[in-house]
Amino acid sequence: MEEVRLMKGNEAIAEAAIRAGVDGYFGYPITPQSEIIEYLMLEQPHLRTGMQVLQAESEVAAINMVYGAAGCGKKAMTSSSSPGISLKLEGISYIAASELPCLIVNVQRGGPGLGTIQPSQADYFQAVKGGGHGDYRLLVLAPASVQEMADFVDLSFELAFKYRTPVMILSDGVIGQMMEKVVLPPQKERLSNEELIKKYGSWATTGKPASRERNIITSLELKSERQEAHNHKLQAKYKEISENEVRFEKLNCDDAEYLIVAYGSSARISQKAMQIGREKGIKVGVLRPITLWPFPSDEINKLADQVKGILTVEMSAGQMVEDVRLAVNGKIKVEYFGRYGGMIPSPNEVIEALEQKLIGG
Amino acid sequence: MSTEKKYTFKDFKSDQEVRWCPGCGDIAIMNSVQKAMAQLDHNKEDYAVVSGIGCSSRFPYYMNTYGFHGIHGRAGVLASGVKAANPKLSVWQITGDGDALAIGGNHFIHEIRRNIDVNLLLFNNQIYGLTKGQYSPTSLLGQVTKTSPYGTIEEPFHPGELVLGARGTFFARSIDNKVKETTNILIEADGHRGTSVVEILQNCVIFNHGFYNHIVGKDVRDDNQIWLEHGKPMIFGKEKNKGLVIDGLKLKVVTIGEDGITEADILVHDEKEENPTLHMALINMQHPNFPTAFGVIRAVKKDTYDSLLEKQIEEVKAKSNILCMDDLLNSGETWTIE
Repeated sequence: MEEVRLMKGNEAIAEAAIRAGVDGYFGYPITPQSEIIEYLMLEQPHLRTGMQVLQAESEVAAINMVYGAAGCGKKAMTSSSSPGISLKLEGISYIAASELPCLIVNVQRGGPGLGTIQPSQADYFQAVKGGGHGDYRLLVLAPASVQEMADFVDLSFELAFKYRTPVMILSDGVIGQMMEKVVLPPQKERLSNEELIKKYGSWATTGKPASRERNIITSLELKSERQEAHNHKLQAKYKEISENEVRFEKLNCDDAEYLIVAYGSSARISQKAMQIGREKGIKVGVLRPITLWPFPSDEINKLADQVKGILTVEMSAGQMVEDVRLAVNGKIKVEYFGRYGGMIPSPNEVIEALEQKLIGG
Repeated sequence: MSTEKKYTFKDFKSDQEVRWCPGCGDIAIMNSVQKAMAQLDHNKEDYAVVSGIGCSSRFPYYMNTYGFHGIHGRAGVLASGVKAANPKLSVWQITGDGDALAIGGNHFIHEIRRNIDVNLLLFNNQIYGLTKGQYSPTSLLGQVTKTSPYGTIEEPFHPGELVLGARGTFFARSIDNKVKETTNILIEADGHRGTSVVEILQNCVIFNHGFYNHIVGKDVRDDNQIWLEHGKPMIFGKEKNKGLVIDGLKLKVVTIGEDGITEADILVHDEKEENPTLHMALINMQHPNFPTAFGVIRAVKKDTYDSLLEKQIEEVKAKSNILCMDDLLNSGETWTIE
């Protein structure tokens, strides 16, 4: 049954996880996302759906519990904030290499190091360029509202199981902590072991009757030819994802002369900046990447034929701007504006930066 | 070094505003540390205060010494690195039950096993304070917290038990508000060569207030605390008439003057005994059947990692055939070109 509630972004993720039929959540407290595990513990999902919730002894423990649970073909997830995600990267690389589905939520805070507990988007590189070792990719979804925090949980698992790959929700402290109206999805049933085997085949560790082939979950291949072949397989999968799973939102782009590219909470701020700009007579639109990998490069490239200049707005020292420049490939000017280290740009700052860097300059 | 009193505790206070909650046990512990440092022989510039992450780990900011506010769980390895790189420093590791025993559990036991010469102060408040009230590895079974709203279902660690399990050479226990006792324990810990673990029960006034009231409460403290001193009988109680004896393989509380028990029957504390059996029993004494043990429970002499490393280098040097450059040039496969 659909239900409308006023919730924090973090709570919305937690409730959506129960409703998505997640089998196991494994986490460790860290600000600004501890509400996820606190909500789950209070909600007793084992009584509602049988979902297990475990507070691990560290982020490393939590991601490896996810690795184990994902190996059972179960819907497994973890969540953390920036320093905690750094700890999980080893496990993420192994999960990607072992081709297991799971969800990792990063409610970003300012870094580097221990940094601050205030919001940030400085983990973009870590999320979309790998972070962990080896040629792997994370499918990265960037919610810009509490509603999307909830919606992207089920979507993440659909994609994770479709491609047997880890998916990340890259959020930040603004979206995690703010409260908005959210329409919660209806409850999905958790799958039984029999349903799992039927749906996903033989890779899941669900016990081995005589009828099933033996399977070992591993990421090791000492013969280089075979390791290369495994990499080819992964790359083919990433190509398929790139071709099919790009998601973005366009606002006022049809008549735009200038374009702001921004994701997550920066996109919300940029939306307001766009309104201010339009009131001033500047024809500005916003392109909001929803998937950060795969990145909406083609769409941005197309828009580069139409607009005079692009401003990327991000709460980092300029990370996504590199992907926008690659997409535009020198056709037009691409500038960056951002605040970071826990600072949040104001809509006025954004439009002033656009005027200064693209119109006046 | 000179025996003149060089410092007062105020010399170790930094100019930073203390941002622990008013009434936090950490503040009293800091006073004890500063008092201990003022009494010790080290020069002020030879102190290094190293912490991980957590409320207790804010400690270095408030100390007028060199400091290191590190990574969650890694206080022990950072301290090991500091000591290995600069052995002349007096290294004080400040850590909590989350930092040392959850994410840092692995490093904690290995640091102790190596017996690196570090003073390891473990502030145990049985809760995650900095992240606002989730259960920790020392939270009691059944404890209600933000992540265990219906009670935890995990058995807690006893830090002392872990220390002995890792073959630790020094373990002491104190209470945050016992400044005099804590100061003396810290002085003894600093004098001990090796990893000196001092567990300090610390009240978190916000998220676990009064968790130790059954031990520290005015009415019960004399009967529920036993302060152990090396060479002294294990006597406690309001009337100083209760004591510990061995009954079979276990400890037992007896009353002097009852059932023919005299002071001569009471166990005498020996912190230097290498066999950890009795130390383990003392560490594990629990309310309500036993008083909680405080003071230096174990302090046995054993080589430290730093000293063994030095010794090994000297031994290898002494046995080596290579004593000078010519020896080196003529060692291994050599040949003459004619």
